Amino acid sequence: MTVLAAHHLTIGYGDKMVASDLSLGCAAGTVTCLLGPNGVGKTTLFKTLLGLLPALDGNVAVGGDDLATLTRREIARRIAYVPQAHLTEFAYTVIDLVVMGRTAYLGAFGKPRPIDYDKALAALDMLGIADLAEREITRISGGQRQLAFIARALAQESRIIFMDEPTASLDLGNRVRVLRTVRTLAQEGLAIVLSTHEPEHAFEIADRVAVLGHGSRFVTGEVQAVLTADVLSGLYGVPLCVERTPSGRHVVGST
Amino acid sequence: MGSRIPFRATLNCLALGVALLLTLAVPAVARTVTDSAGRSVEVPDIITRVFAAGSPASTLLYVLAPEKMIGWVRAPRAPEKPYLLPATRDLPELGRLSGRGDTLNLERLIAAKPDLVIDFGTINDTYRSLAERVQQQTGIPYLLIDGRFANTPAAFRLLADILGVKERGEALARAAEAIFADVDRVRAAVPEDKRPKVYLARGPEGLESGSRGSINTEIIERVGGINVVTGLREKGGIVNVSPEQLLAWHPDIVVTMDQRFAATVAGKPVWAALPAVAAGRVYLAPTLPFGFIDGPPSVNRLVGLTWLTHAFYPDQVKTSLRDDVRAFYRLFYQVDLDDDALTQLIDPRKP
Amino acid sequence: MKRPPLRTATVFGALTLAVAVLMLIAATIGPYRVPPLTVLKALGERLAGAGGHGAVETVLFNIRLPRIVAAALVGAALAAAGAAYQSLFRNPLVSPDILGVSTGAGLGAVTGILLGMPVMMIQLFGFAGGLAIVSMVMALSRALRSSGDILVLVLAGIVVGALAGAGISLVKVLADPYDQLPAITFWLLGSLAGVKAGDVMATLPAVAVGVAPLILLRWRIGVLSLGDDEARALGIEVARLRVIVIAGATLATASVVAISGVIGWVGLMVPHMARLMVGPRFDRQLPAAILIGAAFMIVVDTLARSAAAIEIPLGVLTAIIGGPMFVWLLAHSRRIAAP
Repeated sequence: MTVLAAHHLTIGYGDKMVASDLSLGCAAGTVTCLLGPNGVGKTTLFKTLLGLLPALDGNVAVGGDDLATLTRREIARRIAYVPQAHLTEFAYTVIDLVVMGRTAYLGAFGKPRPIDYDKALAALDMLGIADLAEREITRISGGQRQLAFIARALAQESRIIFMDEPTASLDLGNRVRVLRTVRTLAQEGLAIVLSTHEPEHAFEIADRVAVLGHGSRFVTGEVQAVLTADVLSGLYGVPLCVERTPSGRHVVGST
Repeated sequence: MGSRIPFRATLNCLALGVALLLTLAVPAVARTVTDSAGRSVEVPDIITRVFAAGSPASTLLYVLAPEKMIGWVRAPRAPEKPYLLPATRDLPELGRLSGRGDTLNLERLIAAKPDLVIDFGTINDTYRSLAERVQQQTGIPYLLIDGRFANTPAAFRLLADILGVKERGEALARAAEAIFADVDRVRAAVPEDKRPKVYLARGPEGLESGSRGSINTEIIERVGGINVVTGLREKGGIVNVSPEQLLAWHPDIVVTMDQRFAATVAGKPVWAALPAVAAGRVYLAPTLPFGFIDGPPSVNRLVGLTWLTHAFYPDQVKTSLRDDVRAFYRLFYQVDLDDDALTQLIDPRKP
Repeated sequence: MKRPPLRTATVFGALTLAVAVLMLIAATIGPYRVPPLTVLKALGERLAGAGGHGAVETVLFNIRLPRIVAAALVGAALAAAGAAYQSLFRNPLVSPDILGVSTGAGLGAVTGILLGMPVMMIQLFGFAGGLAIVSMVMALSRALRSSGDILVLVLAGIVVGALAGAGISLVKVLADPYDQLPAITFWLLGSLAGVKAGDVMATLPAVAVGVAPLILLRWRIGVLSLGDDEARALGIEVARLRVIVIAGATLATASVVAISGVIGWVGLMVPHMARLMVGPRFDRQLPAAILIGAAFMIVVDTLARSAAAIEIPLGVLTAIIGGPMFVWLLAHSRRIAAP
């Protein structure tokens, strides 16, 4: 069942167009990877699908409703955004950060209620970091922080989660943990859109791929079908090849 | 014979003509005078154009030699003009050269073509160096005159000598000495415990004042008034006080120069609680053409001494205030005040 | 499982009590000798509706109490505005004057002094000046970049604030050095010396209107500190909330600066103290900052009017006390900046 769909989307800033006629769909319970080199508009596409940037033409529909017609609150209840884990200026505790995910369910003058805290804790629990609740986010590891941001998205109780390069600057162990979490969440029925620089991640966890290349070339489809050596080489401008290991994993390397 | 003029005579005429031209062309910088700072300054023999560097100097110059003024530091306002000599009323506004906030461009000083510049006020190294700098940059002699109030007679005499108005200077100095003598006499006759406690209220709210020893309250203290505002330093300055502190001091007399304040003070509950206000002893100092107490702190304050003496010690004075003020204005400001003008100057309700 | 409600409630209760106690103590201090018991008696009588009108009553109700309440208002308003801006600009080193409201109010007021206006007009000019400058900053930033970038706002604030500062300097040059300059200098250093009950009555509703939206929306303002994109994705209309915060903070700040002059350090430092006590979450930090700000200014103003026979400018005292205190806070706090 398609929960998020983009129809003939034109993306850009103000009057500066970046790419046009982009269409894609995401179904519940799937992981879609957004791939592309720096500077082609991957971030712009990501933000437009998320509703953070207005579409110049075409539309994005969530559950059948045009994103442009929804209020921020309604969008927040349907789509959650996990940024790259960063440090804020203020030393919030993990639970403080996660409970902020409940903002869309509070009134204009409201504060988190006990039920909001419960949901926040449940999200932390699901990711196995409930014991970090009272720790300051400045004092936990990068991987734990990223999981905290994911927990915040879970607390938002949306059916769709967008993640922006969630494994950037994480060590191998944390990278594995986060990717595993993403896969698990998809299995729970969520639709995940992941922006990444690593084609190997796409092979590992994604069901579908959307590739934005130079000259606004745009291809979407099943991972194996789209991510061929030719496409990848054209995308990054260096000769690349895709190999399968005996255990079945795909590896991308230079020729 | 013919019409040929003898050669010798022509030569003599020529020489005489050249000599005459030379004397006319070369300015007669012939004198060296000493100013109050001990500086030796070369000035022209004849001085006709004098530039006043600040408001106190402007007032001094107006009083001593108004015919030599080339302008005011601040142009007189309409209400002040009737109390000034007609010839000076419309002189241009030239700006301030010294004091807090110089506004004058030195080129404009040169363009005004003064014979010399006078400054009347504090004598210290800062002002000495300022005088030297302006003199060097513009070539115009710059004189510093000691502006301390007690020095007034000496200042008149010194400047009169330099400007060539010795007679007038002597008359003014004598009059100033007479006023000082009178003040001292009256003050001596009043024992210390009978002298009034005084508060000078500045500004529309009256909470700005001068602390003890400040130039703003100098003449109040000279007349024997006890300034209730004790400041932090011996040489006082402008300070702000709280109404509560004022109540704690409970002055006998309040002096102000602000008309708005004087008009509204009785109606303000905080002030009405003061004994001075309740007894009606709030005195509004006249300010036309120059302030009696201050504004500027110059020789204009001499008449303020008289005025304050009448206010503080009405039993001790022998003459009428109106006569004293009229005489002062005739001698110092060279204007005759008719009865109406005098009344307008000094409110008949206050002494 | 949040911060135990008891602990937060205790802190707030203690702070409120502290403000009340400080007010009472301040009412007994002053150059006009009034024994503490007499103070309490007079207060009681006035509350009961009775009471005389002698010197004691004049001192208490016309001079001291309006001033104490004004000090509390000033502290509360500046602290609230400072805390709100620190969240809005995601920077704990921001003060309420970042968009130029104090400089604008200063320009308005000193212009009023230059023109020889009565005190009420000077206050009005100050208030209007503060509002005008911030409006200009908002208009300028809108003209420059329609996306409402925080950085553009800050830069516009710096530029317009610098212009207003130049205007103030120009006024000082033009002012009469004997009559007006001392008044201008004193105003710019901050003082509550001449404040009357009427001033407080006029300022209180303006501060209330300015601070009320900050209090009501405090949870959402806290979420703003995560960054525009995240806040939007969490469901907040960032542009609208930003305008509300700026409007409220500006109104509150302009109204107190109009009666007290320019007072620095309070808006910068008190939010930090609040953070130390109740944590960085804005919904707790704001009420704490308001109470701490009020208490702080009551103490400072009491010093200003009773440490010497003449008034010490408030801005001087807050700098002398606030500066070292801020350094101490930075040195001893782990909660302010990330390691």
